[in-house]
Amino acid sequence: MRQFLLKGAMATLLAAALATGAAAQTKTEIELFFPVPVDGKLARDMTTMIKEFNEKHPDIVATPVYTGSYDETLIKTRAAIKAGKPPAAVIMSANFLTDLVIEGEIAAFDDLIQASGKTNDQFMAQFFPALHANAIVDRKVYGVPFHNSTPLLYYNVDHFREAGLDPDNPPKNWQELIAAAKKLTKREGDRVTRWGIMAPSNYDYGGWILQALVMSNGGRWFNEEYGGEVYYDTPSMLGAMTFWSDLVHKHKVHPAGEQKGPGVSTSFLSGQSAMMLLSTGSLTHIRDNAKFPYKVAFVPMNVRNAVPIGGASLVQPKGLDEAKRKAGWTLITWMTAPEKSGWWSRATGYFAPNKGAYELAEMKEFLAKNPDARIAIEQLAYAKPWFATYKTVAVRKAIEDELQAVLSGKKQPKEAVAAAQKAADEILRPYVEQTALKLPATN
Amino acid sequence: MSRGRDAALPQGEITPWIGFGLVVALALAWCTPFLWMLVAAFRPDRFGSSAMASLIPDYAPTLANFVEAWESADFARYYLNTIAICGGILLVQIVTMSLAAYAFARLKFPGRNLLFHLFLIQLMLVPIVLLVPNLRTVAQLGLYDTLAGVMAPYFATAFGTFLMRQAFQTIPVELEEAALIDGARWWDLIRHIYLPLSKPALLAFSIISVTAHWNEFLWPLMVINSPDNRPLTVGLATFTRGAEGAQAWGVIAAGTFLVIAPLLIGFAVFQRRFINSFMASGLK
Amino acid sequence: MAEIALAEPAVQSKRVAALRLDRRHLLGLVLLGPSLVFLAAFTYWPVVQVLWQSVHAESRAGNVYVGLSNFAAIFGDAAFRRALSNNAIYAVGTVVPSLVLALGFALSLARSNALNVVLRSILFLPVLVPLVAAASIFLFIFLPGVGLLDYYLARLGIQGANWLGDPDIALYSIMALTVWKNAGYYMLFFLAGLQAIPPESYEAATLDGASPWQRLRYVTLPYLRPTIAFVLVIALLNVVTQVDHIFVLTKGGPSDSTNLLLFYIYQQAVEHYDAGKAAAATVVSLSFLLALSAFSLRRMDAGADMEGGRA
Repeated sequence: MRQFLLKGAMATLLAAALATGAAAQTKTEIELFFPVPVDGKLARDMTTMIKEFNEKHPDIVATPVYTGSYDETLIKTRAAIKAGKPPAAVIMSANFLTDLVIEGEIAAFDDLIQASGKTNDQFMAQFFPALHANAIVDRKVYGVPFHNSTPLLYYNVDHFREAGLDPDNPPKNWQELIAAAKKLTKREGDRVTRWGIMAPSNYDYGGWILQALVMSNGGRWFNEEYGGEVYYDTPSMLGAMTFWSDLVHKHKVHPAGEQKGPGVSTSFLSGQSAMMLLSTGSLTHIRDNAKFPYKVAFVPMNVRNAVPIGGASLVQPKGLDEAKRKAGWTLITWMTAPEKSGWWSRATGYFAPNKGAYELAEMKEFLAKNPDARIAIEQLAYAKPWFATYKTVAVRKAIEDELQAVLSGKKQPKEAVAAAQKAADEILRPYVEQTALKLPATN
Repeated sequence: MSRGRDAALPQGEITPWIGFGLVVALALAWCTPFLWMLVAAFRPDRFGSSAMASLIPDYAPTLANFVEAWESADFARYYLNTIAICGGILLVQIVTMSLAAYAFARLKFPGRNLLFHLFLIQLMLVPIVLLVPNLRTVAQLGLYDTLAGVMAPYFATAFGTFLMRQAFQTIPVELEEAALIDGARWWDLIRHIYLPLSKPALLAFSIISVTAHWNEFLWPLMVINSPDNRPLTVGLATFTRGAEGAQAWGVIAAGTFLVIAPLLIGFAVFQRRFINSFMASGLK
Repeated sequence: MAEIALAEPAVQSKRVAALRLDRRHLLGLVLLGPSLVFLAAFTYWPVVQVLWQSVHAESRAGNVYVGLSNFAAIFGDAAFRRALSNNAIYAVGTVVPSLVLALGFALSLARSNALNVVLRSILFLPVLVPLVAAASIFLFIFLPGVGLLDYYLARLGIQGANWLGDPDIALYSIMALTVWKNAGYYMLFFLAGLQAIPPESYEAATLDGASPWQRLRYVTLPYLRPTIAFVLVIALLNVVTQVDHIFVLTKGGPSDSTNLLLFYIYQQAVEHYDAGKAAAATVVSLSFLLALSAFSLRRMDAGADMEGGRA
C-alpha cells in the first residue's frame, strides 16, 4: 500500500514536471504568503494582482498563498521556515518584525537596496515617516510597508441626527465621546437596543485599540528602541484602561465583556451600535455594506491626538537561495510601488504607505469622491509605531487578558495593569537577561 | 438492529411519554443551527438589518452567497484533498489492521500479550495530543505540507485492529483449516476468508474512520501550508476568519453548507447503515 | 455482535498452531510489522521526544537540560492552571449532560418506528458536521445583539448575554456546543446497548409489578453498565482531544476563560514558541490519558473475564 502511495506521488510529481515543461527551468518559482484582512473578495484581488505580476515578469512565477489572519500568517511562516520551505515574501503584520529579527528568522534588505543604487534612507523616504519605525530594526530595513491602517471612529449619521447631535461635529475628546455615547444609547426597560459605542477587545484587536487609547492619553506602551520593555503599569495605561472600563460599567454606553471585531462591525452595520472604533482597513467593507449614511473621524483624544499604525509590511525569511531572494525582492518592490499600492488601497480601505500613490490622478479622484478615506489619511500625521517586542503575541496577550477581565467587571483597572506588567516582564525576562541585564562580570 | 428485539422495549414503559415530548422538543432545538445555516445561506440581504438571525426564509432566495463562497475559496480542490486524505488513510488502515488483527486473533507468538497492550495504548494516546513532536517527525520525513503528512500518523489503528480482531475471532477456524489443506497461504486466508466474512465490522470501521478524518482540523492545519493541499475543514476555517474586518455571515453559512452537504447527503442515503455501523462500533 | 466473547484465540486455533508452529511464530511478528512501524513513529517515539523535551529548554545555543523547571513554569503560569481547571469543569459539564441526554434519547427512541428513526437522525446530525463548521455556525448564534440567540431572546423581551465574550459564560457556551455535537453520538451506543438487554428481564420485572422507574433503575441501568463505562471513556477522550471549536470561537479567551489543555499546548508551541512548556503540558495531558487507559483496560479485562476469561 505504501508502495502504491509512493508510486502515486511520483506520478503526480512527474506529471507536474511535464506540465510546466522546459520553460520552467529558467523560471524562478516563488511563494507569497498573505493574510486577508477583510473578506474573501480580497483574496481574489490579490490573485488578480499576482497574475498581473507574473505576466509582466516572464522569468518569475509567483504563487499567492492565503494564510488566514495576521497571527496565523506568523505561525505558518515560522512553520514553513522550520520545515525548510520558506516563502520568498510574506505580508507580515508590521508589529511582528522585531520579534522575527530577534529570533533571526527574517533577512535585512540592505544589500538588495544598495544593489538598486539607493541608501536605506533614500529607499524608505518614499513611505510615510510614521511607518519607518516598524520596518527598521537596528538601522537595517527588514520590512517594506505594504498596506497600513490606523484605528478610526466610525459613526452613524442617522443616529447622530436622531439624538440631536451634529454629524459634522463628531466627538473630539474623551469628554465629548462619553456625552455623545450617552445620548446615542437607547434602552427599552433594562434592555439596551442600541449601544452608544463599541470597540473590539478580542485577542490581537483589543491590544491595538487599547494602544490607541493609551497613545491618545500621552502614553507610549513600549520602548520603540528596545524589544525588552513595555510600559503597562503606567498612569497613561491606567487612565486608558479606566476610561474604557468606565464606558462599560459607569456610563453603560458600551456592552460588557470581550467584543470580537466581526461582532462590532456587524453590530454597527445592523444599527445596533451608533459609533465604533475600528480599523481603517474596514473602510471599504463598511462603505459597501452600510445601508445608512456614516462618517468617520479621528480617534478622540485625552492628552493628545495619537494613534498606532497597523497593517502589514512585506518581509523575506532567511534561508532562501539567491535566485528566489532576488525574485522575491522584485515582487516586493513591484507591489509597493505607487501604482499598485494605490490600487490595493482603493480595494481595501487601507491607506497606501507609498506617498507617491497619492500623487496619481486616480487616487486624487478617489479621495474627492470618498471623504472618509481622506480623513483616514489625515490622521496619519498623528500616527506612531505599533508595539513590537520580543514575543509580541504573548506580551500582547498579557495585557489583553487583563483588559478583557476589566471589561467583564472581573478586575479593577489598577490591579489589572499591575498584573499585566508582571506577566509581560516574565515573558520578556529571557531576552532581557541576554541583553540589557547581561552585564560584564566583575572580579 | 432487528425489529423483533425492538418489540421487547415498549416505549411508554421505559420512558413516560412526557419524556418523549421533551425529546421531540430537543430534537427541534438540535436542528435549529442547521435551519439557520440553510436560511442564511440563501438569504439575499447580508447586512441590511438585524433580521439576519431570523429563521423565516426570504421570499426571494438567492444563490449569490454560494457563488461568492465558491469563488472565494477553492472548495472543489478542498473536496478532492479531503477525499484523498480519508481514502488514503482508510486504505492503508485496512491493510495494517487486517494483518495485525489476524495475528492477534489467530496466531500465537512470543510477546503477543505485551504487543497487544502496546497497541491498546494508541486508543488513548491519539496522534493529536502528540501534535508537536509528530509535526517534527513529519517534517523530518519530508512530508511537511503534503497530504501524506496529514495521513501518516493514522496509518496504524489500534481501534481498527481491535475491532477486526473481534470479528476475525467469530469466524470458525475450520474454514481456515480447510483452506490451508487446499494450499492457501496466509494472505489468501485474510483476503478470501477473513475480510469478506467481516464486512459489517469493516464497514463500521470505514464509516467511523472517514467521518473522523473528514472532520479533522487541528492536525491538517498544522501540517498543511499550501492552499492547494488544504482539506475542507482548514479551507473553511481560513475562509471564515479574516484579521481586521467584518464577516459576511451569509457567505460563511453558504461555505459551511458546502462543506457538510456531502456527508449529509451520504447520511440521508445510507442513514440506516450509518447508524447501525456506529452502533456496532460501540460494542467492544 | 454484543454476544461475541473475547475468547482466547490460541484455544480455538490450537490444532492449526500445532501444525506449523515455528513459521507462525515469525509470521505473527511480521504481520504486526506495518502497524508497529507507524505506531513507533507516531505514538511511541513522540512520547519519548516529549518526555525528553519536557526537561530541556530550547535556546539559540541549542537544547539545555533544565530539570523540572518547565513543569515549575507551567504550574506557575496562571493560564495553565486556568486551562487545567477549565478542562475539569468542561469535562464534568459536557460529559454528564451528554451522557444523560444520550441515555434519555436512546430510551425514548429505542423502538424503530418511522418517527423515531427521523428523530434519531436529527439528533445524530451534529456528529457528521466538522467541529470547525459547527463552530462557524455557532459563532453567529452566539453573536451579541444580532445573533440567533439574542435575536429571539429580544423578541421575548429578554436581554441576551455576551455569550462568548463574558468570562463567566463563555466556557458554558462552548460546553453547550459540545453537548449538541456529541450527545447524538453517545445515543447510538446506548441504543445498541438497549438491544442487548434480554426481553425476558423486562417481562419478569413487569410481572413483579415494577414501575417504569424501577425497571430503569433495576433492569436497564445494570445491563447498560458496560456501555456507560465505554461511552464515559470516549467522552473523556473527546474532552482532552477536541479543541477545534476553541480555535474558531474564542482562541481561549476572554482572559483564558475558555483555554483548554490541548489549546494551551498549541499556544505554547506555535504562538509563544516555547517548546519546553509545550512539552511539559503534553506530559501532563499524557499522564491523564494513561490513567484513563489504565481505567478502561481494567474494565476491559474485567469484561473479558466475565465473558470467559483471557490469557
